[in-house]
Amino acid sequence: MTTPESAAGEGNLSEGPNETAEPDGGVPDGGVPDEVLPEAAARRLGHGAWSSALSVPDLATSLALGFEPAGYVQGFSVRQWRWIGYYGAGFSPAAGMGAMVGPRVGPGEYSEGWRCPHGFVAGEHRVYGYNFEQAWVERSWAEAWGAAYTRMIEEAEALGAHGVIGVTDDMHYLAGTGAAEFSIRGTAVVVPGAPRPSPPFSTFLAGQRLAKLIEAGYAPVGVVAALSSVQMFGYCITRLQLSGSGAGTWSGGAPGVGAIVQVGKAQRAARHLAREHLRRQLGGDALHGATVTEFEQEIGEGDLAVHCTIKGTRVRRFKDFDPLPEPEPVVRLR
Amino acid sequence: MTDQDTTGGTGDGPTPGELPSRTATGSSLPDLPPDAARRLAELEDRPGHKGMFTSDLSVNEFLLIKEVGFHPLGFVMGSSIYHLGIQTRRWSQSQELAKLTGAMYNARELAMNRMDAEADELGADGVVGVRLDVNYYEWGSDTAEFIAVGTAVKAEDGHSYRNNQGKPFTSDLSGQDFWTLMQTGHVPLGLVMGTCVYHIAHRGLGQTLRTAGQNVELPNFTQALYEARELAMTRMQVEANELGAAGIVGVRLEEKTHMWGDHTIEFLSLGTAVARAADDHRIPEPRTVISLDG
Repeated sequence: MTTPESAAGEGNLSEGPNETAEPDGGVPDGGVPDEVLPEAAARRLGHGAWSSALSVPDLATSLALGFEPAGYVQGFSVRQWRWIGYYGAGFSPAAGMGAMVGPRVGPGEYSEGWRCPHGFVAGEHRVYGYNFEQAWVERSWAEAWGAAYTRMIEEAEALGAHGVIGVTDDMHYLAGTGAAEFSIRGTAVVVPGAPRPSPPFSTFLAGQRLAKLIEAGYAPVGVVAALSSVQMFGYCITRLQLSGSGAGTWSGGAPGVGAIVQVGKAQRAARHLAREHLRRQLGGDALHGATVTEFEQEIGEGDLAVHCTIKGTRVRRFKDFDPLPEPEPVVRLR
Repeated sequence: MTDQDTTGGTGDGPTPGELPSRTATGSSLPDLPPDAARRLAELEDRPGHKGMFTSDLSVNEFLLIKEVGFHPLGFVMGSSIYHLGIQTRRWSQSQELAKLTGAMYNARELAMNRMDAEADELGADGVVGVRLDVNYYEWGSDTAEFIAVGTAVKAEDGHSYRNNQGKPFTSDLSGQDFWTLMQTGHVPLGLVMGTCVYHIAHRGLGQTLRTAGQNVELPNFTQALYEARELAMTRMQVEANELGAAGIVGVRLEEKTHMWGDHTIEFLSLGTAVARAADDHRIPEPRTVISLDG
């Protein structure tokens, strides 16, 4: 990654080619550029005034907790992105009968197969069905999220911050480019007089929710997130059930209503995998405020991709729980 | 802003030495339209005429603004209709479009200046609840209306809350946020912003083919977008520094393609610059409460 050199110092707007426009060849495919902040970031962070994405109530709470804002920090990673796609050799799930050879998965990765109970073969009859984990999606998601996170933390370190609060993350497609951008942002804070943790802590919380966490005796350690990806290629019964015509003898005894086993297993596997991926990042700490998001894409008739993310703040107890002061009942004027 | 280097400038784009900042161009305030002057005169107290105020504050906001010792004077606004022009972009190059950046900057500053002028006319100390919008109309291609509106307020204790440029402070804080900010011992100085219009390179066929079918980082895109956002935020911080701010609260980063197509994006950062009112201010201890409604 080259560092753009703007000759005229801060806020330079001089026209002409910017040196960010290097040909793509500089970095090996799949490689992550050197973890160097863009020059504009260093320039911005060197400025006097702090900036903060905290709302005013969150700022007031932070100041009351002894957290002074040091600056708005951010990290990004743009990736060429797709959710589905690569199978082991010999596996072509979408073909009429389905594949006799299952998809290749690595050791310890989830996969599961189904076989048609009907005992007859026809061109359009899916005899084999598979659920399987797409570890390559999980890995590249973790890599992208991690790169954006690392860059944000580097900005915070450049500011001499103790931590980053009110973290938000996002992924969105850059229209017309076939690429997706992962971004992570937050407000870096300094705690005057306290030893500085390395790396700085981070948390999705800010304001009163952060105050309550600390009040309860927990300190934030870092934000964590994981994605799981499971693909499902339905066999004949799943396909019939998904099309809503599952009843009767034709379906080989599949009930007309009720659970669609293969879909249910794919969803359970996705949730389980996301949880397991996240657990590995916790290192024995507790997880606070986990949000689980699941999204499904239909990738063909009767075929699904199930994705699940879990995000939360890793927390560690630092003092015993003090009973909260007696709350005062209030009525809000709206 | 000491290192002035205006040689790299494009004429109509802001250069490092001369941001088209309302904080720097105090003397060139545009004259208000006669209708505005008439409307504002109606709001003022003078012999034989009892003034009144207009505001877009909610009842709660009104209550809280009165509570911290301010009185609303009137609803103020400024607008600017701006022709944004065209700038050629190179297909395969990521770069800032300085002319468009300059245009977006100037247009917003003009609108803000006119709003400031209305507030000044009313003798205000500041403007709260400022909203900055962009509208496009069918009758003008490449033309946009930039509009700034807010409620002018004045301190009741006679103390001046104007900023170091001698102008009313501006802030996009709601009445509630304004009250809370005052409780933390800070005062608003001005709405500050920075913008950067950036063209993101198209990828060549060779590059696309080389990474086909893989999820890989596109370092040039990452770098270009990163750079653009940092530029927008740096400019915002330069404005805040000119106001002598301690910091900026409620920073928002907006990304809009307006009407330029997919690869051209405006990055706009906005926030309220604040300063400490007194060094020995003690922040009130928060109390735990249980809300009895909802």
